[in-house]
Amino acid sequence: MTKAKNLTPRKVKDNDFDLIRAINSGQVDKFHDLVKRYEQKLYNFSLRTCWDPRDAEDMVQDTFLNVFRYLKDFRYETRFKNWLYKVAASTCIKQRRKSKFAPEKELSWEEFYAGDGTGAPAQVPGWASIPLNQLLNEELSETLNQAIMSLPRKYRLVVILRDIEGFSTIETAQILDLSSANVKVRLHRARLYLRDKLKGYYEHDR
Amino acid sequence: MTGEYRDHTHCLEMFKKLSEYIDGELDHVTCAEIEQHSENCVACFSCLETLKRTVAICKNTKDKPVPREFSQRLKEIIQNLPKTTSL
Ligand SMILES: [Zn+2]
Repeated sequence: MTKAKNLTPRKVKDNDFDLIRAINSGQVDKFHDLVKRYEQKLYNFSLRTCWDPRDAEDMVQDTFLNVFRYLKDFRYETRFKNWLYKVAASTCIKQRRKSKFAPEKELSWEEFYAGDGTGAPAQVPGWASIPLNQLLNEELSETLNQAIMSLPRKYRLVVILRDIEGFSTIETAQILDLSSANVKVRLHRARLYLRDKLKGYYEHDR
Repeated sequence: MTGEYRDHTHCLEMFKKLSEYIDGELDHVTCAEIEQHSENCVACFSCLETLKRTVAICKNTKDKPVPREFSQRLKEIIQNLPKTTSL
């Protein structure tokens, strides 16, 4: 967290600060309000990060217990949400059970590059050109979640934080203790990987 | 867009920068180069559009509700926590 400190010498406004100050000054029963605020976000983050729903529940539980344990050290220098995800990400990384389906390998952009224009489609496929709302449904969400889960973890976390949770490049770098350049590299490869999976889904799997 | 475009020397350079382009993280000059190239190269245009769509699908994916029994269990665990955060 020292890295984050140097990068952000600013006043942070956050709707959660009052609640955290209350908890830290003795109104511990209010911790439940904090949990309620983030329970669903964190549950879905964990579901996408872990494979098994039971692992996801463990991750949510452990994260909140860690939050409770370290809340007194919270410095009000970043938004609470960012700090929460930092705790969640490190809880996830410490989890021992590893996915059989997502080996920890490097992805290179070369494997996604179609070449000098000759191998690429001559027009934009339907799934990328029709209005988005005609595309979104439960089956697509499931396909996307499966694709995310099959990504090696170092890419998975980055794309979840950036594209699903909506953190900026700098925030993601702070949460994962990476450089911004590293976040960008991983994000690009993760997106290319997901694009291939979605392409496969629309062209072959249905 | 014309299908006749044959100069693909920039395709690879463009391919590497597509995510930064989508995220608005490139300077104006590079953006203009990418826009010009994708107007003339169907392959890169298609690549850009499918990648944009991938990001849009991620941004619009819906969250699942928390299972009620898990939520209940979490509540119970919290009720049993110490009565202070400053231990
Ligand atoms: Zn091109």
